[in-house]
Amino acid sequence: MPVPDSFKEGLARGWKTYNGSRLDNDLTLEADVAIVGSGAGGGTTAEILSAAGFKVLLIEEGPLKTSDDFKMLEDKAYASLYQEGIGRMSKDGAITIMQGRAVGGTTLINWTSSFRTPATTLEHWATEHGVKGHSPEEMAPWFEQMEQRLGVAPWAVPPNANNAVISSGCEKLGYEWKVIPRNVRGCWNLGYCGMGCPTNAKQSMLVTTIPATLEKGGELLYLARADKLLIDGDHVTGIECLGMDERSVAPNGRKITVKAKHYVLSGGGINTPGLLLRSNAPDPHQRTGKRTYLHLVNFSAALFEQVINPYYGAPQSIYSDHFQWDDGTAGRLSYKLEVPPLQPALTATLLGRFGIDNAMRMEQLPNTNVMLALLRDGFHPESAEGRVELRGDGSPVLDYQMTDYTWDGVRRAFHTMAEIQFAAGAKAVLPLHADAGYVKTLAEAKSLIDNLSLELYRTRLGSAHVMGGCAMGEDPQQAVTDSLGRHHQLSNLSIHDGSLFPTSIGANPQLSVYGLTAKLASKLAERLKSA
Amino acid sequence: MACSVKTIMPDTTLETPNLSRRSLLKVGLMGSALLATAGLTASLSGCSASMPKAGFAVIRESDLAFLNALIPVMLAGAVTTEQLPQAVSNTLANLDYSLNHLSPELLKLTVQLFDVLALPITRGPLTGIWGSWENASSADVQAFLDRWQNSSISLLKMGHASLLQLVMMSWYSRPESWAHCGYPGPPTV
Repeated sequence: MPVPDSFKEGLARGWKTYNGSRLDNDLTLEADVAIVGSGAGGGTTAEILSAAGFKVLLIEEGPLKTSDDFKMLEDKAYASLYQEGIGRMSKDGAITIMQGRAVGGTTLINWTSSFRTPATTLEHWATEHGVKGHSPEEMAPWFEQMEQRLGVAPWAVPPNANNAVISSGCEKLGYEWKVIPRNVRGCWNLGYCGMGCPTNAKQSMLVTTIPATLEKGGELLYLARADKLLIDGDHVTGIECLGMDERSVAPNGRKITVKAKHYVLSGGGINTPGLLLRSNAPDPHQRTGKRTYLHLVNFSAALFEQVINPYYGAPQSIYSDHFQWDDGTAGRLSYKLEVPPLQPALTATLLGRFGIDNAMRMEQLPNTNVMLALLRDGFHPESAEGRVELRGDGSPVLDYQMTDYTWDGVRRAFHTMAEIQFAAGAKAVLPLHADAGYVKTLAEAKSLIDNLSLELYRTRLGSAHVMGGCAMGEDPQQAVTDSLGRHHQLSNLSIHDGSLFPTSIGANPQLSVYGLTAKLASKLAERLKSA
Repeated sequence: MACSVKTIMPDTTLETPNLSRRSLLKVGLMGSALLATAGLTASLSGCSASMPKAGFAVIRESDLAFLNALIPVMLAGAVTTEQLPQAVSNTLANLDYSLNHLSPELLKLTVQLFDVLALPITRGPLTGIWGSWENASSADVQAFLDRWQNSSISLLKMGHASLLQLVMMSWYSRPESWAHCGYPGPPTV
């Protein structure tokens, strides 16, 4: 039975949208609130403001793709749904950065893991970064509201074999592990969350908050890049947007001018600070784009006798936080353990090398597990840190500088992952590093990992969680916005996205973005009503 | 079609394409200046380098010599000799599709990388392939990749990583690559 494409049905009912790649003329659009970005922060904000009676305009640089378009093919999905055609990386090219770029933003292509912001992280922000009013108790109702809105619940189906490596290995070693809560309803357990959900089971912004906004008369402008904020004194007076070609690669010459009473930036880490920098927004303390974090990820592959089929089934369903806080909140760099789904194109680049070496690794794909460590960066003064800069054409790029402190975390994570994989019954383990091959015992793995030269390019590094760059906090010398996301220098500008986080989260960030922006949007609606 | 000189000249102090190998090597140690040299040389030496080959959106005639040498080495072990010509041609098609969806800045970097590999003046000193790519053996190509991976110049290490990722991803996006890796393909919805 074919899956109904609910978004297309809405369009047929008359939802108001503009396709920036197909405009006959330049355009001026007006709204009460203009929101740049249609991912977790923008979608959540749009639904709440439109429900409060405000006319909302959502602006999205990427294309509008809906369930009929999602064919579970890597090449098509990566080219159309990811930032820079999945080519986004750190400035030095050593860290692959996966972020969504389509209507629904990263929520369209994430792997559905939904965690509340850890209490320790919220407490750290209050004591170290001047964040006010977001204690675990104060945030709890907002997380609960969004969990209900998006169907967040621990995955009730048994994990696929790729995820079960974590539970069985941790069980043997006495390490803590848990089931991951996911934002799905009626999930088919296919495993293709990263290419757009073909069954509309994932409760991304595409099937939840954006339809709700459009039902209330809100509007959506897509394939349009918010190029510059127009600024007069302490006011934003408009946004200049550029129509994009249908690949969302290059501007097509059309201009869209957006006028609103209030403006919200929800482009996420890298893009939101990029827009502020491009607009020469006031930044007297040079904070914009600083303190950007990645949950830097390293990987370990393992071979099993039994079939794993790591490309099928819910991509992430088991995690371990056993090491996450093992040296306190701000001690040595610690990590959360999860697995990635292993469809072949991305896997071929993870497993590394070329020719016969790569071919032999790929030949064993059905029996392969890969584990990953999300390194909790930004809590310690010696943590690696990123800074957003502009390239020659005004596009943003992240300069992420590694440190010895961070490499130490990478090495310990390699050790931990190999230990868990062998405990789960792996017959061989491969830390994903150019100089490593599969080794058959834990002792061999220990010696291999201790002797790896940890350096850029040789170590396979990635990130799917860009956080920070427009930190919130009460001190304008340290933060870009206050704790309610209000820009410290521009009175009618708010930021509602993951760029607000003063550190990384210590968990996949989507629910942190939903909860925080639901609260900020609700407070904004109250202020706009009383204004 | 008439040749036109690129309007944006690279930021470099070099003003003549008549470089001796020695002066070029000196520049080469500076990494980014060498990439600029390739861009400059391409600009001054003619127009064909900037035109995509018929059937491609991005890949140029001048890119094909090294891609045709590189891709078989990368896919060795994953395809049979009989499959190889078709596999190379299909990998090129997917590579072209990916390149055509990169951001302009990333595409610019990649085209510069391709220029460095294609132009004799930079190819020899930087890759160790002194003759043409058509005559390079598989061992020559592997030696070049090793050299870049272990180079002291970050840009060459980055170039090595980019070539590996672009080619492997292009091939394993293709359904005909899946039998080798035991992937049955996406389910039917």
